[in-house]
Parts: sequence; structure tokens; C-alpha cells
Amino acid sequence: MYRLILKTLFVTCMVLWCAGSVRAEESSKFTEANTAFESGDYARAATIYQDLIDQGGASASLFYNLGNSRFRLGENGKAILSYERAKLLSPRDPDLRANLALARKTATVFDKGRYNPWADAALAFLSRNEWSWMAAAAALWIGLMALSGNVLRGSNLLFRKLRWGSVIFAGLILLLGGLVLFLRRDEAQQGIVIVKDAAVRLSPFEKAESIGTPGAGRRVEIGAENAGFFFVQVPGTDLQGWMHRKEVERIEQAPSDGS
Amino acid sequence: MVTPFHFIRGSLTCLAWMLGFISISHAAEVTAQLDQDTVKVGAGAMLTLTVTGGRASQPVIPNVANLIIQARGQSQQIRMINGETTISLTLSYVVGSNTPGDYEIPPIELTVGGESISTQALKLKVLPDSASQPPAGLAPGAPGTATSPQKPTETEDQFGFLTIELSASNRKHVYVGEIAPVRIRAWLPADSRAQLRSGIQPEGKAFTLHHVTEQPQQTREEKDGKSYLVVTWYGGMSATKAGTYPASLSLNATVAVRDLSAPAARRPRGGPFDDPFFDSAFDRMNARYIEKEVKLASRDQEIEVRSLPKDGRPENFSGAVGQFELGSPDIPAQWRTGDPQKITASVSGSGNFSLMKAPALTPENHWKTYEGKDEFTPGDEASFSGTKKFQFSAVPRKGGEQEVGMEMSFFDPTAGEYKSLTIPNRKIQVTGDDLVEQKVATASQDTPPVAKAEERLVAQKKNNSSVKSLTPLVSRPAFYYLLGCAAAMLGAGLGFSWLRKYRENPQRLAKLATEKALQEAMQAARSSAAANDVPGFFNAARRAIQERLGPLWNQSPQAITLAEVSERLPEDSPVVGFFREADLHEYSRLAVKGEQFPLWLKLLDQALHSLTPTTR
Repeated sequence: MYRLILKTLFVTCMVLWCAGSVRAEESSKFTEANTAFESGDYARAATIYQDLIDQGGASASLFYNLGNSRFRLGENGKAILSYERAKLLSPRDPDLRANLALARKTATVFDKGRYNPWADAALAFLSRNEWSWMAAAAALWIGLMALSGNVLRGSNLLFRKLRWGSVIFAGLILLLGGLVLFLRRDEAQQGIVIVKDAAVRLSPFEKAESIGTPGAGRRVEIGAENAGFFFVQVPGTDLQGWMHRKEVERIEQAPSDGS
Repeated sequence: MVTPFHFIRGSLTCLAWMLGFISISHAAEVTAQLDQDTVKVGAGAMLTLTVTGGRASQPVIPNVANLIIQARGQSQQIRMINGETTISLTLSYVVGSNTPGDYEIPPIELTVGGESISTQALKLKVLPDSASQPPAGLAPGAPGTATSPQKPTETEDQFGFLTIELSASNRKHVYVGEIAPVRIRAWLPADSRAQLRSGIQPEGKAFTLHHVTEQPQQTREEKDGKSYLVVTWYGGMSATKAGTYPASLSLNATVAVRDLSAPAARRPRGGPFDDPFFDSAFDRMNARYIEKEVKLASRDQEIEVRSLPKDGRPENFSGAVGQFELGSPDIPAQWRTGDPQKITASVSGSGNFSLMKAPALTPENHWKTYEGKDEFTPGDEASFSGTKKFQFSAVPRKGGEQEVGMEMSFFDPTAGEYKSLTIPNRKIQVTGDDLVEQKVATASQDTPPVAKAEERLVAQKKNNSSVKSLTPLVSRPAFYYLLGCAAAMLGAGLGFSWLRKYRENPQRLAKLATEKALQEAMQAARSSAAANDVPGFFNAARRAIQERLGPLWNQSPQAITLAEVSERLPEDSPVVGFFREADLHEYSRLAVKGEQFPLWLKLLDQALHSLTPTTR
């Protein structure tokens, strides 16, 4: 028994030490990328940020800094994609919003929004991830209260009022969360055009006729995939067709993509 | 009596018979012809199908890959030569392609007078756009060919032309960056039929068109002694470079005009209109239409574009050209350093709102502002005038009592000078300490104009934030597991609650107690019967009936007596009978034989079975 405890402690220490060293290495690389950016070596900074993200370290700061590097390199489409991804993780960052607006303006891409500005701002105040966590937590709270109600039924009146109040509040959160997630359900399919002259083609072939170029940074709705092409629709226009998968990327990652 | 009506009806009947006779007396014939065998990409040749000798069905147009065949109408001609009448139907199509190559139009099938006829196959060569013009023989007015010339020719004037005028009548020049209101007019022959196939496009690169009205106005006007149908649009025109440039515009349209040059058909003589005076009017009415796809172009009209003067240009001038007024901004009275709050400002007037930037907060170094949103509400159809509302976030850098104002400048093209608009300073309270300036990475010395925007890029994050997933919870299976858990807990909670209520239900509990007492009484009655204990038997048996009646009558079982039973139940009821028997034997102490007990048990059983829930 004594030996088992010792083994467990040893393994735990090793895991913590490894995690700490990985974190220290990431931090060192992050600083290195920031230094490269400040010295004007934006390409190197972008490479390091991208490496850190590819190693599973996706964070709002990394995507934000990567967006800045791409913007400085003149890659507006990729910059907007990085900012949009940072916005998924940190939706209320004013610096991020400012840089995203600047990148869109530079790329002459204007997001008209879906509803009126007030409703769009209210919907975007929390990310879809935050809304879904809130809705799930509210549902769990309602379930927990329903289950515990049989145990705690003999408690005093104030406690029972608080319990019912919390259930009603959780119910409202659940309804609101469900409504927002429903209204924003198409965001899972949204992507950004990352190549300047990317063409929307009539059919999913390299030599198919081009029917329009939405421009780098433009938000598109991504549909089915066929032979390395995505079926895309450009919101607010009648333009729809096939775009090569190297020219457009989803903002959110599908569960199968990992992360 | 023969009236004119009878005469006309008779004539028409004769004509119908004649046409019918002709249609069956002539052999059916169909010819197909292309007016040119070579066209450029995007242009078209005219395919004409001529049918003679009978009534024709709609032809089946074959489908040829990459070849576009569009119907352009049909006409019918009746000819009478030396007493012989022929009727011919002409069907017109435009044929072209967007892909160069040699094409063959297969035989076209159609039925004429019940007979199936095919045309001969036709060949069409489509040249690349860069290739030279089609070879000679191409009629200048042929459909689909009038797409290139920049200057309108006399032939094209026949189909109409465009004019462009600056709306500001007192000026013949515009300034760089100014969106000058213009009036664009398409002059079409008065009796023409036109279909617009494109929007208005500038021909050169010097000018850009903005906000052209979607619903043009139509009027009829006289110009140089000719009558025109005039279609008028309003829009804005801007230039990015100083100089004098031709303001050429074009518009693709299909225009059909009457061909007055064709020989007029001979009008039958006689009748009220048999006078040379009417010849012109009838000739015009009977003239056939020539349809042509044309590019209506404006005659070269040069417009001077002047640079914005450098003298007197304010430092905060951001390119607004027009006449504007600054509305009262919405600035919070209480603030904290580093705390972003929303500022709302509005600018109204007329000019290039699309290039206008938000007014700046003053003093400039006391505020850090972020790019925000703007919303333009047009005041007219062409969006020259209106109000632009800006909403942006700002952070105070300095604490304490601060004075804040707002200013913007613009160039007034009418006055030819810069003007500044200011909102007087107002005092606000800013709590917190002064912000330490963040070092923002700056661009190199040789910054091109585009890089100016980069200076406003907010600096890098110095610390890495926590690692998160780009896939929101709602897109992961975990979300549905959590909802499933919640639903299971809710179901279990509701189930437990129902079970608790069921178990604690007082009616159910009372019913159980009654059943238990009844069973005990019945058990006691059977025991007494086995022991020949008459009083004990009747006591227990009566208690059993009382236990059954108690809940039915909603009263205490012990309070139910023979008198009440007799009163509430019929006299022949087994319950009444049993109660009588019980009273008789319990109090009389008569000696009874053991064989009486089965009869009494049977009577008890009948009495209990007669007590249904409806027993009252």
C-alpha cells in the first residue's frame, strides 16, 4: 500500500513537471514571436504563432497576435480569419474588435449584419460557446433542483422560494440560450475567403467558369464538399458556387477537426 | 340589303378560305440561314428560320454545348405576285457563345402543315475576344455586333445616345474625392421600343459612378427637332486624380426602331383615307421594326477635376467633401481611465458620406479611440444628402476633471475652401490614474499611404491567454450528453415526486386501511363461524359491512345501524336482510344449528357484493 502511494505521487509529479515544462516552452515561444513582431519580422512571428496554435495551444491572444502579423504582411483574408477565431474565444475584447474592423475596412469587406445593429450587438455579446455553456448549466441546474426537491422538501419557506426562483431564472436562461443558439445556428457553417482572387466557380473543377470573386476576407456560408471544393454562398448576394478548399476556411472548427 | 358589315364579313370569310386553300395547295418549305458565319466571343449572329407552305409548329431548337440560342420573335408575311399568294413565317434567333470554337447547329425540326421537316445544319465560328473583327460581309447593324465603338456614330444615334450633366449648374469642375451629383439621360427615339440590358457604366477609369437611382424617370422631350423618349437617372460621380477627362458612360440596351428606309407597302386605294396626306402616317405605322443590341454611349464631354487645395488644409481633414453640419454628440459625463465607453455623434448635410470618418474627440492626446460603426440614413434617393451616425468607443487617458469637445473638417466645393466644425468643450469627470502609454509597433519611415491605417493597429497581446477550443460546446456531443443528463435528472426528480405523492395520498391510505379492517372482520367472522360463535360471527360480519359502507357513505363505520341501513337501502337489499338477521341472533341468543352458518356466509357475501361505489 505504501509503495502504491509512492508510485502514484511519483507519476503525478512527473505529469505536472512535464506539463509545466511544455507551458514554459510555449511561453518562451510566444515571447519570441512577440519580439519578432516588434522587430518587424512579421513572417517569422506569424510562423511561430501558427506553430503554437497547431500544437494545440489555441488561445484568443495567439489568434489575435497572428491576425496582427497577417495584417502587417498584407494578408487581409487570413488576418480577418484569425481575428474572427480570436473573437470566438474572446468576444468582448475592444482591441480585437478595433483591429478586426480595421482589417475589414482595409480589405473593403463590410459586415452588414443580419438583423438591426442593436440585435446583432446583443446576440454577439456572448460567443456561441458561452451561450451553450450557459444553456447547459441552466438545464443541469433545473434537473438538479428537480432531483433534490424530494430530499429538501422539508426545508424552510425562504429556502423553497429561493429554489423556485433559481429554477425560474435557469428556465429563462435556457430559453434565451436556446433562442440565441437557434438564431446563430448558421455560424457553424461560416467561413472566410483567405485568398485575394479566389473565384467562385460554376462547378467543382479547376477549369470551371468563374462566376465571381468575393474578395479576401469576405464571409461566406460553406456547404457541401466535393472533390476538394466547397459549395459556398456569399451572403447578401446571389453569388453561389464552388470554391477550392485552399481558398476558404471555416471560422469554427468542426468537432472532427480536433482541438 | 347588303350592309358594310355583311361586306366585311363576306370578305374576311373569302380571305380565310383563300388562305386555307393556299396552305394546302403549296408544298411546305423551311430554310435556315445565319447572317454571318463568324462572330466574336460574347457577340451574336442572327439565325432566321423561314417557313412557307403551311401552318408551322414551334421548332425544336437543338441543344449545343456552350452555344447560346435565344429567340428574338417572329413575323408573318403575305405576298401576292401575279395572283399567286404565298404566306411565310419568319422566326428569328440570336446565336452566340462565350467560348471560342467551331460550332455546328444541327438540323432544326418542325412540323409544317402536318409534315415534319428538318433544316440543313449550319456552322458558326466563334473567335476569341482578342481576335480581329469578323470578316467583311458583316452588316454594321447586325445584331450583337454593336459592342465596341467608344464614340457614338450616326448609325448608333439612330438608336439613341446618353448625356451626362453636372447637377450643380454653376460649376463646370469637380474636386478630387468629391461625389458630384450628375444627371444621366438616355435619349431614345420616341416611337422605339427599348430593353435595358445593363446598368450605366463609366467607359474610362477617371471617374467612378455612385448611387445611381434604381427607378429612372421617363419623359418625352424634343431635341434638335426630333422627339425622344428620355430616361433620366440621378447619381454621383467622383474622380481620384486631377486633370481634364472625358466623362464617357455607356449602357447596353436592345432597341427596336421603325425602319423608315424600307420601301413602303402599297396601300389599297379607295376609302376615307385615300389621300396622299395620310401616306406618311400610314407608312410610319406600317414600317417594320429593326431590333438591335446597342451600346448607348455618351458623347465625349470633358470635365475638369481639380485637386483639393493644400493651403489651409486642416490637420484633421480626412477627405470629407461637401457641406456638412455636426450634431450634438452623446458623451458620458462620468468616466474612468482605461474604461471604454460609447460615443455617438452625427453629421448631416450633403456630400461624400461614404468617405467620411468619425469626428475626433479633442484634445486628441487625452483620448484613445477605436474604430466603430456608422450608419447612413439617406435624405434623398441618390444618397447625396442625409445623416451619418457614428458610434465608436473611446478610452480616457487622463484622470481628473477633463474638457472634451469634438471637431471635424471638410472641403466645401461650392466655396472652394476648407471649413471646420467644432462642438464646444464640456467638462466631464474622469476617475482613475493617468494611463501609461503602450508602445505600439510603428511602421517604417517610408510608409505608403495604405500603411497609414496600420498605425492604428492595436498592439500585440503580451501574455498568452488560456487555451480554449474553437469548437463551441453546442457543436460537440458533450452538449447533448449534458442536456441528456439534465433531462434524466428532471425525469427522475418528477418520477420521485410522483411516487412520493402517490405513497402519501390520504385517500389511498384510507382505502388501504378500510380494506385491511374489512379483511380482519371477515377473518374474525369465519373464525366465529368455525367455532359456532353466533354473536361473535354477526358482530364481525356486521363490522365488515360497516367498514365497506363507511367510505361509501362518508361516515364513521361504527355509526351505521339497522335503522340507517333500512332508511337508505331498499327493503329487499341483502344488507338490510343481513343486519336484521344479525340483530335478531345477536340479541336473542337463540340456539342455532351449525348448518345455518353457510347460509349466513352466503348472505354476507351477497351483502358485500351489493355494496358498489354507487351505493348511496
